[in-house]
Amino acid sequence: MARSLWTGSLSFGLVNVPVVLVTAVRDLDLHFHQLHEKDGAPIEVKRWCSKEDVEVPSEELTHSYEFDDGKEVVVSDEELDAVEPRKTRTIDVEQFVDLADVDPIYFDHPYFLLPASEDDGSTRAYRLLAEVMAGTERAALGRFVMRAKEYLAIVRVRNGVLTLTTMLFADEVRPAKDVDGATQKAHKPAAKELSAAIAVVEELSTEWDPDKHKDQYRKRLKDIVARKRKGGTVKAPKAVEEPSPVPDLMAALERTLAEMKGEGNGERSRKRQKQEA
Amino acid sequence: MPRSIWNGTITFGLIAVPIKVHSATEDKSVHFHLVHEKDGARVNLKRFCSKEGKEVPYKQVAKGYETRAGEYVMLSQEEINAAAGERSRLIELEEFVCQEHIDPVFYDRSYYLGAGEDGQDAYRLLHDALARCARAGIGRWVFHNREYLVVVRPMRDDPGGARKGEAGRRANGRSAGILGLHTMRFADELVDAADLEVPEPSRAPSKREIEMAGELVDSLHHKFKPGAFKDTYRERLLDMLTRKAKGEEIEIEQPREHEPSDDLMAALEASLASGGKGSRKRKKSTARS
Repeated sequence: MARSLWTGSLSFGLVNVPVVLVTAVRDLDLHFHQLHEKDGAPIEVKRWCSKEDVEVPSEELTHSYEFDDGKEVVVSDEELDAVEPRKTRTIDVEQFVDLADVDPIYFDHPYFLLPASEDDGSTRAYRLLAEVMAGTERAALGRFVMRAKEYLAIVRVRNGVLTLTTMLFADEVRPAKDVDGATQKAHKPAAKELSAAIAVVEELSTEWDPDKHKDQYRKRLKDIVARKRKGGTVKAPKAVEEPSPVPDLMAALERTLAEMKGEGNGERSRKRQKQEA
Repeated sequence: MPRSIWNGTITFGLIAVPIKVHSATEDKSVHFHLVHEKDGARVNLKRFCSKEGKEVPYKQVAKGYETRAGEYVMLSQEEINAAAGERSRLIELEEFVCQEHIDPVFYDRSYYLGAGEDGQDAYRLLHDALARCARAGIGRWVFHNREYLVVVRPMRDDPGGARKGEAGRRANGRSAGILGLHTMRFADELVDAADLEVPEPSRAPSKREIEMAGELVDSLHHKFKPGAFKDTYRERLLDMLTRKAKGEEIEIEQPREHEPSDDLMAALEASLASGGKGSRKRKKSTARS
């Protein structure tokens, strides 16, 4: 079982569900160690006091906050927890919303909430909330504090398990107004162009199937490590040339559609397109 | 809007769309330094060679992958970067999906896309086509020497505000007019809920309890308005730090542990009687105590 990152209660009306938070993400990245280049020996990283020139054991570590004027204040974990004691231990469900109304830009990190203990009180309250949400597209919104940061969180049910996704607060999302979206009238596509572009999109449309997308980066990195281990050399691949914008969009759309129809298969036409490039 | 962080080209079919990537989010967390409790002095990280016991300057640090206990394959940063692949300036949209079918757990980081040089017409064409058929493009993006799975989609009207229900969803075409890009998690990076062991109660919740909980959910149902939620902790945290810097003593209030509700039925009845506001009322009284 994954390590619990936070322990507390999910509180819904006057119903308290004691829960633990565990991550829903598995770290599959290749991790590299630091080595001393000269002798290949692993590097040991030590925490060093800048004043006394000694190693600092972890139990003597604490945090400080630096104000804009450079002044610093040392603060303990207990003092941090005391800022919002309730939110440090409770996720108060403030409202229920339709999941489809939440823009994906707000989603941050996914977790699972599990009953904090096996006793009947905890597990029945947990099951009640899971059952009641399972039948709807609704999700619970609440806030809580973890590691000196407040999170907005959305809780819903997947396969009978409460899933919590931390979210960004509205002020952490930048306004998009200065991004050039080519919204001026002059850039509006002609009806013919738009319907051709839609036809291309429809032709390449498929069901979202997350399992079919594999992390090629991870695979390539593994291959590089394997090659180096055997004493081989690694060369950076030559970058594929960046295509230039075409002056005649309609002609490019027609060629795309003609290729798709000619091949009768999007996959092959894309391959050919790559060869041409 | 800050400068773009990546410039390149999106392709769909034979259409090239020059784009600029901008960050869409900013981290507002309060950051701390690691210090030595005794003297409040900053703690720095120092690197020592495990063989020689001597400090190693950063310039002499290489990266190694442990293939077997104590056995490393040494790699240069250039060799590691080679894994990024060949499409360093190109995002090829290989397929299109219905964005609403993508579960929230897959979304990682979010960016805005702006039209690149000489690319306004193509950008607008891609945007309007996707908005019209409510689709999102799937592709790969190389950023900082790493390849990501990405979704490209038209942004909703105002990501900072609520849309107007079903009508808003359908009217995506008349949205903010810009494209967004999200990096995505891979399916194998997500823990499957089916693999978790969830302890079950000896007796399932009764039909009546589920009905009452359903009423409670209904009474707390609102339209999602992101601006309605403020991070109150950040402000209070900075206030506490300011007080402490002035030499004020900080009162430690022990967070209260909650008892699980023994009598679910009674808790549900009381919650419904208080209009679902049970938790909020209690919060106020906690604050006063």
